Amino acid sequence: MQPYHAPLRDMRFVLYELLGADRQLSALPGWEEVTADLIDPILDEAAKFCREVLFPLNRSGDEEGCRFENGVVRTPKGFKAAYDLFRQGGWTGLMAAGADGGQELPRLLGQMVSEMICSANLAFGIYPGLSQGAYAALAVHGDEALKRAYLPKLASGDWTGTMCLTEPQCGTDLGLIRTRAQPQEDGSARITGTKIFISAGEHDLADNILHLVLARLPDAPKGIKGISLFLVPKFVPGPDGRPGRPNGVACSAIEHKMGINASATCVIHFDDATGYLVGEPNKGMRAMFRMMNEARLAVGIQGLGLAEAAYQGAVAYARERQQGRALGKPSRPDLPADPILVHPDVRRMLLTIRAKTEGARALAAWVALEMDKAARGGDRARREETEDLAALLTPIIKASFTDMGFEAANLGVQVMGGHGYIREHGMEQLVRDARITLLYEGTNGVQALDLIGRKLTAHGGRFLRRFFHPLDAYLAAKAGDPALAEFVQPLAKAFGRLQQASAAIALQGLKNPSDAAAGAADYLRLFGLVAMGFQWARMAETALAALAEGQGGEADFYQAKLATARFFMARLLPECGALLATVAEGGKTLADFPDRAF
Amino acid sequence: MAPAIAKAAVLGAGVMGAGIAAQIANAGIPVRLLDIVPEGTAKRNVLAESAIAKMLKADPAPFMHPKNAKRIEPGNFTDDWAALADCDWIVEAVIEKSDIKRDLYRRLEAVRKPGSIVSSNTSTIPLSVLLEGLPAAFAADFLITHFFNPPRYMRLLEIVAGPQTRPEAAALIADFADHALGKTVIQAKDTPGFIGNRIGVYWLQCALAEAQALNIAIEDADAVLGKPMGIPKTGIFGLLDLVGIDLSPHVVASMLAVLPADDGLRAVLGDDSLIKGMIAQGLTGRKGKGGFYRLERGAGGAKTKLAIDLATGQYRPSRKPALDSLEAFATGGPRALLVHDDVGGRYAWAVMAKTLCYAAQLAPAIADSIADIDAAMRLGYNWKHGPFEMIDRLGAAWFAQRLQAQGLAVPALIARAAQEGGFYRVEKGARLALDAQGGAKPIARPPGVLLLDDIKRQGPRIAGNGSASLWDIGDGVACFEVHTKMNALDRDALEFLGKTLAIVPKAHRALVLYNEGANFSVGANLGIGLFAANIALWGEIEALVRLGQDCYRAMRAAPFPVVGAPSGLALGGGCEMLLHCTAVQAHAETYVGLVEVGVGVVPAWGGCAEMLARWQANPKLPKGPMPAVARCFEILAVATVAKSAAEAKDLLFLKPGDGITMNRDRLLADAKAKALALVGQPKPPEPAAYLLPGPSGQAALALAVDGFVKAGKATPHDVTVSASLAAVLCGDEADPTRPLALDDLLALERREFMRLVRHPKTLARIESMLETGKPARN
Repeated sequence: MQPYHAPLRDMRFVLYELLGADRQLSALPGWEEVTADLIDPILDEAAKFCREVLFPLNRSGDEEGCRFENGVVRTPKGFKAAYDLFRQGGWTGLMAAGADGGQELPRLLGQMVSEMICSANLAFGIYPGLSQGAYAALAVHGDEALKRAYLPKLASGDWTGTMCLTEPQCGTDLGLIRTRAQPQEDGSARITGTKIFISAGEHDLADNILHLVLARLPDAPKGIKGISLFLVPKFVPGPDGRPGRPNGVACSAIEHKMGINASATCVIHFDDATGYLVGEPNKGMRAMFRMMNEARLAVGIQGLGLAEAAYQGAVAYARERQQGRALGKPSRPDLPADPILVHPDVRRMLLTIRAKTEGARALAAWVALEMDKAARGGDRARREETEDLAALLTPIIKASFTDMGFEAANLGVQVMGGHGYIREHGMEQLVRDARITLLYEGTNGVQALDLIGRKLTAHGGRFLRRFFHPLDAYLAAKAGDPALAEFVQPLAKAFGRLQQASAAIALQGLKNPSDAAAGAADYLRLFGLVAMGFQWARMAETALAALAEGQGGEADFYQAKLATARFFMARLLPECGALLATVAEGGKTLADFPDRAF
Repeated sequence: MAPAIAKAAVLGAGVMGAGIAAQIANAGIPVRLLDIVPEGTAKRNVLAESAIAKMLKADPAPFMHPKNAKRIEPGNFTDDWAALADCDWIVEAVIEKSDIKRDLYRRLEAVRKPGSIVSSNTSTIPLSVLLEGLPAAFAADFLITHFFNPPRYMRLLEIVAGPQTRPEAAALIADFADHALGKTVIQAKDTPGFIGNRIGVYWLQCALAEAQALNIAIEDADAVLGKPMGIPKTGIFGLLDLVGIDLSPHVVASMLAVLPADDGLRAVLGDDSLIKGMIAQGLTGRKGKGGFYRLERGAGGAKTKLAIDLATGQYRPSRKPALDSLEAFATGGPRALLVHDDVGGRYAWAVMAKTLCYAAQLAPAIADSIADIDAAMRLGYNWKHGPFEMIDRLGAAWFAQRLQAQGLAVPALIARAAQEGGFYRVEKGARLALDAQGGAKPIARPPGVLLLDDIKRQGPRIAGNGSASLWDIGDGVACFEVHTKMNALDRDALEFLGKTLAIVPKAHRALVLYNEGANFSVGANLGIGLFAANIALWGEIEALVRLGQDCYRAMRAAPFPVVGAPSGLALGGGCEMLLHCTAVQAHAETYVGLVEVGVGVVPAWGGCAEMLARWQANPKLPKGPMPAVARCFEILAVATVAKSAAEAKDLLFLKPGDGITMNRDRLLADAKAKALALVGQPKPPEPAAYLLPGPSGQAALALAVDGFVKAGKATPHDVTVSASLAAVLCGDEADPTRPLALDDLLALERREFMRLVRHPKTLARIESMLETGKPARN
């Protein structure tokens, strides 16, 4: 099996050359030290940790899986030790506030570390990943006492977090939640109900688990408007702050899944468990959405990490495996056959993965940097712009990146042929692991509905403006540059299609919402391609500038960037035309098909 | 021909009397306004004079034009009594005390000219009571004319003629009220409260009592009784605050004094201790120290809205209504609300079921037709649908069944409607209303009234699309109707206007632009425009700007007269449509303006160019290029909206020859007549040449704007938008000696519009307008 090597060169290209992130971040208050001198060692360390500690546990963790015995969940061999190292290395608190013992580093950096973890061992990454979501929800919506008591524990990784939304009768439709909360005289509440599909709901990695649970208060309004959020610790902390009495939280089973077998997916029962209200009564969805949006971006990064892993595995195999001859002239007449890398269809698959992976990495980094900038500086208007942009791109990053991760793993298998289908090379695990990312934190279909129903329509299209105007301005500024024409012209064409599709969806939404819904997935895919295309044009521009400056021995790197950009523009972006056509068609062919004929 | 009423008088300068006098003045008729001489003052006309002064400052304004105030001659009951001899119509609007009124009538007998007509604005006193002890000669000239407050804006006038009233006198006043005062005249019977107040007072009292019985939050009560029932959003408690809570006990008492013993009102009256307590504390509504609602200013100047808790009588912070029944309405309509079992649903059902049944029981006794009752509630209480229209909307059979299921008696009229499939039906293009005898009568329109609503029932449109239609209104005249939300103009509407110009000459001689919505048009569809701008569809936006310019230009050049017939708002692109008509026949209540700067752009469908042309041609302005430019800038830079058709003439949104129609229902007929009169007449040409000041003019205007900035009256984006407006109006780089053509002006309008529409602050203004109804001051 090919070991994982973090794509550090490409990450640095994005950070320093494409975005100038070191310059921009170190200009912000409190981040004066955040320069390449600080960033590079962190990335190097993370890469090393992922290569040496997490990656070796990926296959074994998958084979062994989690075990459930007498109410206790045992993670696979080596996970506890790896988690301890992870925690001791300070990785759990990378982005947490200094006051909570965290390192308070930019989201951009945390995101790149996340990508590496997801490439190396997705199942492992889920444990600390959920803690991050819980931290974010608590930090914004929790009261001071809750924050003091719990945030440092999440930041240090001593305790982990969960999100308890799903119940047997309710998944996407959270209005159906039944778990009850009974207020107590001391201000706490007693929580009773059953939650399913709870990732990291029970495990042996940490001393305590903090469940963030959606439940209903007595007399709460029906549906989504009557849901409140509670923090329910597995052990109620004693006066010394250490885990105290058990709290009526029990795991009754773990799921047997297609993938991410080393991640415990639990059925959790709350039986009169003590919980503490987070945020306002009946306003639980607000806090939940904060957690959910964090989680959706994080799942997008999972897709990116998996795509990168698939690429590395597939390329290594394609270099070594020798079968057949290149059409025309053999490339290695000295060998009995050429490496399969010479075959156009294999190159097509490898470049497809690569072009999307690098485009996605740049796109995610751009959004993260904007969010960092808004968090540390800028006025209210600037923050609103960034919030709009993040809100708009969250469903796109979640769905198009996870589609990409799954597609990449499948292409990886395809490159390998039968050898991809057996366990030995690890590629089939990526397919199985990737499959869940299209489902959890809102299926990709739900992401598409979020995009057209909430994000596209918000404030007369204001969210869209945050993406469309910068791209429009970029195209206008570069229109006359002949060196960029091969990138800018296809992008302009694709952008025009995105504009048309957006107008079509908006009009359909007014006239017949199911027409808009019918095209939602295609619209999201179209949007994702254009968003990556925008980054590709800028990356090509950056590479051209670097070559013009004569960047010494790295010409190959920049040439490869340009070549990948050309591939993206010529071979991937044209899909936008077909996607526009299906969006414009509306939902008639779907609606007209009789239910009984299915 | 001398008008039938050449001079009028109003006795009593209270709110109603003064308002009636103002409306008579608005109609162009001189009017005396008299009241008593208060004790201890040398200013003997002080009551009338101060009423006029107050009206000149009031908003909404009782006067359609300030100069109309000069038509009111203030006076007093002592010194000017004899002068009443020159009045053809004397309206009495003094305190609701029959002895005082009768005393005035007796005094009038001594001075009024023979054949003059006297009417009372009483709202509750029966005509028979008013006439007690008065001679037959007086009774023959006497009737009741019951106006609604405010008299300028409320279209309802109830007229009650007694058995002795000369039919010609009643007809003359009805005709004058209809044509000159613009009222919809409903012939009421001599029953307590006539039509509107009989039902309206019952509804209010019932709503008040039920709210207390159910202890519903007043916000919830107003929310369920407001929009879902087609009643103004003030609902019930907001309405009581508006009209004055102290008025309510007086009205109820005077109604009770004259109502039959078995009248339903007696049964619904609830505990009035809360109201009495509030009045005692001065909590009489908006005019007092607060009412059911109250705005309180906190320490930081932040306003908090408070609401009274009906159970405790104490204020608490107001909260937004969040009722399941309101959501049920949003998805399932009024029926879903009325059957909902939460407090909102139970409340709405309790109030509306009783009120609608009350109306049905009374109908034969208080009106000639249920259509009159519906009209009275629409025009007198601003309900969107009268009670019988409401029942039809719910389904008469459904309503009757529900009454029965709830153990309530079904009034005979409702049972009948349930059988017949409703109170109204359409037969051969005519709308029929059920009558108490079980037949169905066509709804009578006064002679000369032409309504598109009626025309639509008689046959299909000539052509049209989803945004606009073309109708044949007879005598070779076609009518172009916009029917979008708020009659905003979108691409479809403009494109169809273009097609209309090609269709009309085939079989018609003239075109009228008209619709029966509340507003002629609020201008371009901002929602679509904002979305297009947000997704950077600049090409499409510019194409739409050009389409509007081309369309309006083609309309002006069309080989047949085009008459605009606006009522309500005619803003932005809607105003520009009028500016390009051959002539305009406007409803008196038309509010015209080019308000583009409010949303951060400049008029670009030819509005700047046409306003410039009109002011340049105005002989009252000094010579030279600058005066017209400066005047247009003054008007457009602050988004001036004329508050009436009369004001629109001052601003040249309307031309001196454009007509004004007082009665909304007569607008289409008047516009059609105007269009026919213009057939074959030469059309006004396009403006030929503009001599404009160029950069020096812009510098002068910038200096003026700078003054506003220093005074804190202009925001940074106002400066940007004003500069664009100035660039258009001054002709950009124009040389004051070389004229620009219309094409140049239109190109400038487009250029500056496109420049501004990309600006984030313009987009923020549009967004704010769409979401809050107010432009952002950024």
